[in-house]
Amino acid sequence: MIKPVHLTRRFFLQTSAAGFAASATALPALAANLQPVTFQLSWLHSVQFGGSYIAMKNGYWSDLGLDVSLAQGGPNAPVEPPVVSGTALVGISAADYTAAAVEQGAPFKIIAVAMQRNPFAIASLSGNPVNEPADLIGKKIGMAVANTPVLQALCTLNGIDINQIEIVPTQYDPAPLVSGQVDCLLCWETDLPVAMTVQGVENTTMLMADYGYAVHSQTYIATEESLTERRDTLVSLLKGEVMGWNDYYKDTDAAAALAVEMFPDAGLDPEAQKLQAARQVPLMFSDLTAEHGFGWFTQDTVAENIETLGLLGRQVTADLWDRSVLEEVYG
Amino acid sequence: MAVGRFIVTAVVFALVWEFLARAQTGSMIISGPVAIAEYLTNNSGLIVRAATETTTNAVLGFLWGNLAAMMLAVIVTLLPRSEWTISTLALLVFCIPLIASGPILRVLFGPGPGPQITLAALAVYYTTFLAFLVGLKAVSQNWTDLMGVYGRGRVATLFTVRLRASVPYLFVGLQIAAPAAFLGAMIGEFTGAERGLGVLTLRAMRGLQTDATWSLACVSAGIAMLGYGCLGALRRKFTPHAPVILFSPKRLDLGRSITIQLIGFVSVVGLVFVLWQGAMDAFGLNPFFAKRPGDIFRFLSEPAHLNTLLAALGATLAYAVPGYLAGLGLGAGLAILLMLWPPVARATMPIAIALRAVPIITTAPLLVLAFGRGFTGTVAIVAVMIFFPTLVACLQGLRQTPAQIVDLFESYGASRFQLLRSAQIPAMLPALFASARMAVPAALLAVTTAEWLATGRGIGVLMALTSSTSDYNMLWSCVVVLCLVAVVSYAFVAWCEKKVLGIYANEQLA
Amino acid sequence: MTRADIHCDNIQKSFGAVETVSQLSIVFKSGQTTALVGPSGCGKSTILRMIAGLETPDTGSIRIGQETPRQVARRGGLSMAFQDPSLLPWRSVRSNIALGAELARKPVDRVDELIDLVGLVGFSDHRPAELSGGMRQRAAIARSLISAPDVLLLDEPFGAVDAITRRRLNRDLPPLWRERKTTTLLVTHSVEEAVLLSDRVIVLCPRPARVLADIPVDLHHNRALPETNAPAFRDLAMRVLTALEEAA
Repeated sequence: MIKPVHLTRRFFLQTSAAGFAASATALPALAANLQPVTFQLSWLHSVQFGGSYIAMKNGYWSDLGLDVSLAQGGPNAPVEPPVVSGTALVGISAADYTAAAVEQGAPFKIIAVAMQRNPFAIASLSGNPVNEPADLIGKKIGMAVANTPVLQALCTLNGIDINQIEIVPTQYDPAPLVSGQVDCLLCWETDLPVAMTVQGVENTTMLMADYGYAVHSQTYIATEESLTERRDTLVSLLKGEVMGWNDYYKDTDAAAALAVEMFPDAGLDPEAQKLQAARQVPLMFSDLTAEHGFGWFTQDTVAENIETLGLLGRQVTADLWDRSVLEEVYG
Repeated sequence: MAVGRFIVTAVVFALVWEFLARAQTGSMIISGPVAIAEYLTNNSGLIVRAATETTTNAVLGFLWGNLAAMMLAVIVTLLPRSEWTISTLALLVFCIPLIASGPILRVLFGPGPGPQITLAALAVYYTTFLAFLVGLKAVSQNWTDLMGVYGRGRVATLFTVRLRASVPYLFVGLQIAAPAAFLGAMIGEFTGAERGLGVLTLRAMRGLQTDATWSLACVSAGIAMLGYGCLGALRRKFTPHAPVILFSPKRLDLGRSITIQLIGFVSVVGLVFVLWQGAMDAFGLNPFFAKRPGDIFRFLSEPAHLNTLLAALGATLAYAVPGYLAGLGLGAGLAILLMLWPPVARATMPIAIALRAVPIITTAPLLVLAFGRGFTGTVAIVAVMIFFPTLVACLQGLRQTPAQIVDLFESYGASRFQLLRSAQIPAMLPALFASARMAVPAALLAVTTAEWLATGRGIGVLMALTSSTSDYNMLWSCVVVLCLVAVVSYAFVAWCEKKVLGIYANEQLA
Repeated sequence: MTRADIHCDNIQKSFGAVETVSQLSIVFKSGQTTALVGPSGCGKSTILRMIAGLETPDTGSIRIGQETPRQVARRGGLSMAFQDPSLLPWRSVRSNIALGAELARKPVDRVDELIDLVGLVGFSDHRPAELSGGMRQRAAIARSLISAPDVLLLDEPFGAVDAITRRRLNRDLPPLWRERKTTTLLVTHSVEEAVLLSDRVIVLCPRPARVLADIPVDLHHNRALPETNAPAFRDLAMRVLTALEEAA
């Protein structure tokens, strides 16, 4: 079991001091004095963003002087436009998406990494499992065609000819697998397989990160301008976020329950949320985070990412990552 | 008697449905009425809140969209010279796919229902505009002469004659709009809305919650049917008079010279570019995702980009044309079928409305199951997405057959088929052509959707790819190409229409 | 309004390659009723439509007094009853008749009087679809009369009207427009009607329309309907008929 690094005493003092400073200015006026910040999530509300909900619920952000609104994502709500426009200060993205956006001229930096290990997985029914990349040969895989480079990268990393796999364009939905239209799905470890398990469909997943696919996911992105102009706000936002995720790690069931409670109109299934919350842990928390803290990355992990991104056709340098905010958070 | 038959039909329908669902239990694709009823009972609070949210946005979008459509149609009627320009602009705005407009709307409106309402409005204005315009033109020349004898101009003619005469046609537009607005509001939720039936649908589909998916589809369809039914009742209330024969003399082709037409075309293109650039600048939209004409021009002057785009376009057109024809055929065919066997109408109309009101992501898996992912499946998806306006418009067109002509046929003891062929189908032609024009952009957008749902090729996939890689240059290039294809196809359909209606419905060429 | 003679001066009108009216010059006297007769398609309706301002002559000019037809139309001085009643199906009979006054911007106060005149008492709230063809035609005639126009154009208005009503209208209408000094143009296929109702019968021959005979009718010295059996009437009718046969 990996334990997350505990925040230093100094961190807490700073935090409390800021909180005290804020609360000292007469409670009713509190809300008025908070700085409004929009945080753009990458998808619909769910325990995927459990740490943020805890930060909000426990007042970690308001103690730091922030009034954070969590903007939900969706199929037609890409993260990059609001962050580029400045309507959102920080967005949740992934290294490959960020690299592509930067190639298109967006001045983004990755300032922290929630998912150390990429959540992409190959899900299959247990009766006809895909346990390792070689099992893919001769199988029908259901996926969005836009993800072909991801499968290509996995094949290259494991010496498999992608032409031996039949790609079937499907919606992002487990039904084609369950109804037998395909043998496996390219999906996230934490969503479609969880849904199948909750619905009683026995399934097997093969995490691509276990086979060399190293792409940071659920990364925090901000513009270069924000990094210089609104640095303090970024630091506060990440501080709250880190505290929230540390709580999440301690009790994922509580995080799942909070997500269901906070979004009664989202139609979240409590069981699925619990399972998803637990399955996220090994992707987000590692020896690295145990040593340095949630969200951390190093030159080595960045180098691995650069290599995999190269296979995806993204030529990037280590400049894409900027750890300075995180260093201030933990400083 | 009628009620009894309805109940019997409904019960048989439910039993067949339940049987199919139970036969398919393992695949988790179909839910039966029992499971749906159970889900709705257990989650009534959630569903009612979501339905209220989506319906409110749909109603607001319905009002704004139809208001805009009516104003545009009125402007075209008062200033006939503006018809080409306004129709083209209306077409182009309709052609912008959600994948391009979604991020812009969200950035413009921020959180809240703005994008949902806008998308609901965008989903309805175009069909209403075209249907209403047909109605505004469908006046007897005798009536316009009457106005002329008193020296009254276009404004008086509009208020005294055209607006009232167009009511049946306006209601066609409104009835088409009822499910479309609902669907638009639901799809609008895909841009990051907090709540609503669209959000729940997404979640249910990914969560393999088949019962939830089907329940949501049933609720959506039910609300859309209610809207359709209410508007139908209003239509019957406001059009008690029988349709009249609209004699109009043959218009002489004024034969505008090629040069004049070319100048007109170039100035509309210029206007589009100015409006495009102006709108983006006025709202200060970041050029990263809100591309300007210049960006696209520079991007496409690179041959590699242009080739990628054209290759994708080729793949798209290969499905667009058959899909378009299939959709028109399905709509017009159903309308004729319903005219010949009215009892069929009562059973078919609810399904037609349901198919229109439920997002394609819900219905596509069923279509794929039935028709596969190949050519047939793709064409089926497109046909399902676009047939509804044609069905409603053609039904109205068939009803427009003047009573005297029906009497004439009956006096000769003509069969239903003879009446249909010689009287009702010609009477339907203006409506058919109006829906043929409506279906042009709808079919293109439907194909792009079907592509990422089933075939994995073409402009639709290219656009899906661009949004994940932030390649907004390519995305907007796709939009430009779609718009161009839509305008050219529209012009072609309009040309065919002119040739045919010159024989059957001269008043439409005014 | 003094002398609202209608001057058609050298008017010519073609539709495509077909020349319908050529070099036609006629003056219709103010306050007179003129019947235009001629074979079908001889351009009678086109002449009426040009005088109504619905069509413009390709060359030549039409003046009503000092004004153009459009100017007269715009001040509500014109009205016309068409071959087709052209009632608005969503309006009641009363409202359709009132429309004539509304459009001419004249007071809408004589509707009942006109409903009585055309024999539609009891039907004023019916919609056109509920009326017989003849009743619709009568409503259309009432609509053309309600604005008390200076120029009244009647394009075969009695076509669908039953014999008894037609007889009654033939009796009641001419005194009405004589009294008002309305300049009336009547297109009809009935020779008897032409002689009966008008002060002058013009026989046109077709393609292009030109005047074949211009026959003054002087039977209207008293207010009573001329006696159709009188030799004078029969002589005139015979002259018109002969001219018509020549035209065909």
